[in-house]
Amino acid sequence: MKKLPFFLLVAALAAVLAVGLAACGGGSSTTGTSPSTSEGGSEGGAEAEGGEVEGGGKEGGTLKGAYTSFPDYMDPQISYTAEGWTAMRPVYIPLLTYKAASEEEGAEIIPGLAKELPKVTNGGKTYTMFLREGLKYSNGEPIKAGDFKYAVERCFLTNSGGSPFYTDIVGAEQFAKTKKGGIPGIKVDEKTGEIVINLTKPRGTFPNELALMFVAPIPQKTPDEDQSAHPIPASGPYYLTKSEPGRGWEYERNPYWAKDNGKQLTEIPSGHVDKIEIEVLRNQSTQVNDVESGKLNWIFDPPPTDRYQEVKEKFEGTQFRIEPTISTYYFWMNNTQEPFNNQKVREAVNYAVDPAALERVYTGQIKGTQQILPPGMPGYEKLELFPHDLKKAKELIAESGVKDKEVTVWTDSESPNNDAGTYYQGVLNEIGLKAELKILNPDNYFTVIGNLSTPNLDTGFTDWFEDYPHPNDFFGPLLAGESILSTNNTNFSQTDNKALNEKIDKLAEEQLGPQQEKEYAELDKAYMEEAVWAPYGTRTLSLFVSENINLETAIWNPTFETELTSLEFKE
Amino acid sequence: MPPESEKQGTEAPIPTGTGASDAGSGIESDGARVIDADAGDGRQGGGPWAIAWRRLRRNKVALFSLAVFLLICICCLLAPVWANHVADTGPNTTHTLEKLHEGGEVKEVVEPSGKAIGPQWFAAGGKFFLGADGHLGRDEMVRLLYGGRSSLFIGIVAAIITTILAVIFGLLSGYYGGFTDTVISRIMDVVWAFPVVLLALSLGIVLAVGGLVIGPIHVKQSSLWIPTLIIGFVYTPYMARPLRGEVLALREKEFIEAAVAQGAGTTRILFVELLPNLMSTIIVFFTLNIANNMLLEAVLSYLGAGVQPPSSSWGTMISEGFGALYSQPLLTIIPGTAILLTVLSVNVFGDGLRDALDPKSKVRFEARAGTAEPEGSAAV
Repeated sequence: MKKLPFFLLVAALAAVLAVGLAACGGGSSTTGTSPSTSEGGSEGGAEAEGGEVEGGGKEGGTLKGAYTSFPDYMDPQISYTAEGWTAMRPVYIPLLTYKAASEEEGAEIIPGLAKELPKVTNGGKTYTMFLREGLKYSNGEPIKAGDFKYAVERCFLTNSGGSPFYTDIVGAEQFAKTKKGGIPGIKVDEKTGEIVINLTKPRGTFPNELALMFVAPIPQKTPDEDQSAHPIPASGPYYLTKSEPGRGWEYERNPYWAKDNGKQLTEIPSGHVDKIEIEVLRNQSTQVNDVESGKLNWIFDPPPTDRYQEVKEKFEGTQFRIEPTISTYYFWMNNTQEPFNNQKVREAVNYAVDPAALERVYTGQIKGTQQILPPGMPGYEKLELFPHDLKKAKELIAESGVKDKEVTVWTDSESPNNDAGTYYQGVLNEIGLKAELKILNPDNYFTVIGNLSTPNLDTGFTDWFEDYPHPNDFFGPLLAGESILSTNNTNFSQTDNKALNEKIDKLAEEQLGPQQEKEYAELDKAYMEEAVWAPYGTRTLSLFVSENINLETAIWNPTFETELTSLEFKE
Repeated sequence: MPPESEKQGTEAPIPTGTGASDAGSGIESDGARVIDADAGDGRQGGGPWAIAWRRLRRNKVALFSLAVFLLICICCLLAPVWANHVADTGPNTTHTLEKLHEGGEVKEVVEPSGKAIGPQWFAAGGKFFLGADGHLGRDEMVRLLYGGRSSLFIGIVAAIITTILAVIFGLLSGYYGGFTDTVISRIMDVVWAFPVVLLALSLGIVLAVGGLVIGPIHVKQSSLWIPTLIIGFVYTPYMARPLRGEVLALREKEFIEAAVAQGAGTTRILFVELLPNLMSTIIVFFTLNIANNMLLEAVLSYLGAGVQPPSSSWGTMISEGFGALYSQPLLTIIPGTAILLTVLSVNVFGDGLRDALDPKSKVRFEARAGTAEPEGSAAV
């Protein structure tokens, strides 16, 4: 027998060693909480039984999906990420909600648990709605008008990142401080289901905010602490049968949907599958393999950068669809402490960060921008205040006198955000700062950087996807002084400019029109002239499903991304 | 001489030990020359180290392995030379938008799709010799060499730390016995009770967040000293316990009694009488520890609890390359090969060293495995 050449032996052993080490990561596991086989005998391990429907798909079956990381919270009042909202969209319905549709139609506000859209009186300061009658939670308990009030109060009790949306309710600000006595500005009548909300001042975005997950009614006995591991009873077409933070969660049809809630909430889709099983699968390449083989039917995150082009070329139009988003990717800089409290330093960073380079880091999945508002958002007017100029950046750092100042750069380990952080650290070092990189698990990244007691919160990566199609959504939660919270903070740059805060407040009171859009564009420019962030792009995402899922009927909502209720098995 | 009450049962010498208590090992001595009874070559004379060296010289595979290891070390030490004079870039310098001129051809280091350039060997004068490392376009060869420095630094320095701690604990525990032995042994047992990777991982994750603060000393979370100290610590019991066993046996020997009778102090007995007799064991453990340390570093770095990005080590390079395993498998295979060659060379050399310092241990090994030749047949 011919001997194996030594170099081949070494290469083979190296490959074994490399793969062996790689196997140490949890991400490489293809096993999850759900078995890949099913009794239905359907292709790819997903049960696709049941009757045919008009859309050409089948009703029933078990949809298997994967997330790369567990959402920040699986709790409607606290979650403030696209991951959480996509996951909870079919479970918790607010009084108002967004239509389950794509593009502009998906931005339309429709009645949810409320009978109809609110009646606005008192100069825009009073909102009156009526809860539909006979609604039930998934545990059989009736849904009460007081549950909405408790949901708003629970936002404050849990220091939710969404609580600033509701501080204009009479008494809410006081309640936020004392956490006692309830919010007097919300009055409910359990007999008639009437809900009256009094605001301290008009708020043009309030209908949008009533349609957010934060104020979806929940039973009043729900503890005022994170319930991610203890699913709260559902009001939507599905309920969570289990939720294991870090591992995954599962849904089943809400037994009270078909006979009670669903009959009234006809604009909210009931969903096609009987069960949904989502597992956390760290390895995005494995996710792609599993969708290709049919082990998984859907993945939340886009294919990893390594596989993106291949998946796009192979499956675009059949299983893969690129979806635009209204989002801004940016590096936040802590405006309250050295060295980023110095405007020259922040300008230097803006000059040094090159969106074109980051477009490649994101393998073409972002389009370079340098402003707060993304394209597609009312008020967007293209700005280019800081064309890439490394020399100028270095000069500004020299002028600012902070050369060699140590800073910590924060990012998460999800690809390519980790590479974006590495790129950013290199840029900061190049212009004369001493940057150290801190990479966190994406499961708790925003929780950590949103906690002001975390040391060395200097600068780092973040992104923002619209909560609703209103430019205030990019200013209120991210830049207004009142949105700086001790925990669950979203104003990572801790920007607190009094003059601009007032402008945000003023615009928030008005209904959005051409004049307001113009003023939002000016606000965008004003913040960028202060270089409060270093924005670098707006993201495109993608929908990737298995061969046996109907891509044509799958809905991508601009706020909630994939509508899980729209996914159905092909005939 | 230790008190009578402390003369407890001895532990069997561990297989990799030098068997210093075995007469005729060729090494056991308090300085006197001995006959190399089982040298197998019929020659006599020379000090124990000279005899060991003669044995090692005859082990060509071990010497070849040593040469490979030294070559790897030299290459890694010359990383700045390659970086500054050949590749003209640093290990963390990104080249995302740069173009490479090769003859009349212009290549993008990172394509708009995010795919990085592959190995160029010497086509671009040594730049991107092994290609670029993904979307950031860092020079893979430069990172490999610098990564090797990190991996070797951790492997060797952690082995030194382990050795120092293990020798101190082994000597104190074995010589004093009694309460001292109980306390040290139980502490070692506690550390031993945890799986090495799990313990190191837990410590790595904790220290990777806030760094290490001991009084006025603050070790940053990104410092190489964090994984070095962790690895040095977690392997200590694996060396300290066998050393303790040897000390328990040695302290009963006549030369220790003689030293006590001559009025030698504890320090002298520990470091002048006992320590030299442990040297062969220590040396063998030291080399094998380097290999184990490098492997553990790779695992920790792969899992994010070792060397912190953007600094490179072979473990972090495998971790980073794993993200591009599908399109650029070389990014994982190259650092994997580097680890393999280094660990293999150190292990083979360590085995050769053990055979040279204590050939009887090999006989014991084979006897246990049932492959040893009949006693006496090995010796001429």
